[in-house]
Amino acid sequence: MANIAAQRIKREFKEVIRSEEVAKCAIKLDLVDNNYTELRGEIAGPPDTAYEGGNFVLEIKVPETYPFNPPKVRFITKIWHPNISSVTGAICLDILKDQWAAAMTLRTVLLSLQALLSAAEPDDPQDAVVARQYKENVEMFRLTARHWTNAYAGGPNANPECDEKIKRLVDMGIEEHQARVALSSYNWDLERATEQLFS
Amino acid sequence: MTDSNPPFSGSGAEPLKKFCSPYYKNKICPKGLNCGYLHKLRNEVECKAWTDDEDFFLGLVNVPENTKKRPCYFHKFGKCVYMNNCKFSHDLENLEDKQPDGAIDNIPSTSGQHQLVNGEVKTDESEDTEGACASPPLVMVNNRNWADAPEFVPKQKSYAEVLGPTEVPTEENLGCLCPYLSKDNNCDIPNCEWIHGDCCDMCGRFTLHPFSEELRKKHQKDCLRQHEKNMELSFAIQRSKSKTCGVCFEVIMEKSPGEQRFGILPNCGHCFCLTCIRKWRQAHQFENNIIRACPECRVTSDFVCPSMYWCDTKEEKSRLIENYKGALSKKDCKYFKKGQGKCPFGNKCFYLHATVDGQVVDVGPPARQRRRRNQDANMEVLQVMLWDFIDERDYPWVAFEADLEDLVSFFTDSDESDWSDYEVFFD
Repeated sequence: MANIAAQRIKREFKEVIRSEEVAKCAIKLDLVDNNYTELRGEIAGPPDTAYEGGNFVLEIKVPETYPFNPPKVRFITKIWHPNISSVTGAICLDILKDQWAAAMTLRTVLLSLQALLSAAEPDDPQDAVVARQYKENVEMFRLTARHWTNAYAGGPNANPECDEKIKRLVDMGIEEHQARVALSSYNWDLERATEQLFS
Repeated sequence: MTDSNPPFSGSGAEPLKKFCSPYYKNKICPKGLNCGYLHKLRNEVECKAWTDDEDFFLGLVNVPENTKKRPCYFHKFGKCVYMNNCKFSHDLENLEDKQPDGAIDNIPSTSGQHQLVNGEVKTDESEDTEGACASPPLVMVNNRNWADAPEFVPKQKSYAEVLGPTEVPTEENLGCLCPYLSKDNNCDIPNCEWIHGDCCDMCGRFTLHPFSEELRKKHQKDCLRQHEKNMELSFAIQRSKSKTCGVCFEVIMEKSPGEQRFGILPNCGHCFCLTCIRKWRQAHQFENNIIRACPECRVTSDFVCPSMYWCDTKEEKSRLIENYKGALSKKDCKYFKKGQGKCPFGNKCFYLHATVDGQVVDVGPPARQRRRRNQDANMEVLQVMLWDFIDERDYPWVAFEADLEDLVSFFTDSDESDWSDYEVFFD
């Protein structure tokens, strides 16, 4: 790894550790390997959103050309969000692509992602299904996102109705996550989800 | 010894276009106003002392008889570069007579002991008229026995002293300051006959001439200017010392010596090292408006101005940028080649477009349309060419490297409004 990249990540790592966001448990950064090429980030779901109470883990890969190129970031924790793929965790955020600036840091990236969670951009979607639901039925989107937060990110707001529907599909021999995706995609319409799963 | 022939003195001789070495080193020249060399440092205005103060000097000193009291040892061995202008005697016959056993035993601690008698020595004028020294002195080598050469004996102070014994003031340079005063104001010569100046409270050295008001003032002026320069420099260092680069996050003044340079963006106040900001502006994976923008605030700047120190105020910054552009505009454009070539940057180029006879040419705006049609391919060619464009030069404040990425962005930028600022400059 280019010297400048490693040097900078080292500095940034120290900076994040000391930052007030870490003190407030809003973000977290851990090393995955010792040569600072891969890190694990964690952001808390922003308050007053469907993601409140959840902890979202991110995979951060630092390219050799960092900071002249953005780090590669994706969600490891499954999340229901128009700009984040519910399948791969890929993120659609301009600063991680063509709007990157060399003065940005891992800390600002994590904070930007946190902001993205509270302000989705359905017109520039990464996950078309989620984006459509967001645009057509925001309430249904919130419910789904809250459920996903509860199921995958340790969020406190369980929804018994959703759990019940998933349990019924699981009883039919469907894998739990598959069942959740199907139900979420069809606005928790059990019949259509079942139809799709068995077609 | 006497400066009998005054070719280097102020009394009417043409000035030599050379810097006075003792003055350059210590700001003190024992000859004072009578020194024919330039009493100025680089970038300084020429000191007019050697002409302006001539009257003073002539009034103070009685030019003595033209006598050369000591033999020139360099001439003795055929190596004196001063030829006729040498302060020492080139009269070899007398030299032979008086000093047959070489110079070692002839080191006078004070004047007088080994001087040749005036009458025996030819005056400089007579040498000039006869052209005695006009013939190459190297001829003398054959006539000399090398065994007579002064040999180095460790108990002696130095070889230089063996060859040229300590000068003592003569009538002519009586009014001059002691040239043997060391930096810590010690003079090694016992019973030194030179003038020892008063202490300058600014530089702490005994360099103020006791009775020449002119020399006192000059020294004080020089000292003040040097002091101001030093102050300015230390302020610049002070404000630059802790500045970190917004890209690599390193303290710029603590980077490796070659990288301790700031890249100043004209349109915003964010701090980067030159290496990083240039690298960012060369990033090809982003749109031009991204890389031309400040990585911190996204305010676009058309070029980066290299600087050794950080600029806090607008005035400092505009002065720096003016200096930078001014310096580049004096340098010939490597594409224009004094009219032989064609500069792709046209009249937007920062460099000088002048023909061989020095006439500045307006080459018109850069050919942009063709480039835009096939931008990518052309950009690549341009990049290759532009590497030749880089030229290293040293300058205390401004580094003279071509901002090739800036020039590229000049070109490919579609927003013409940004250029308006530079029209004045380029005109």
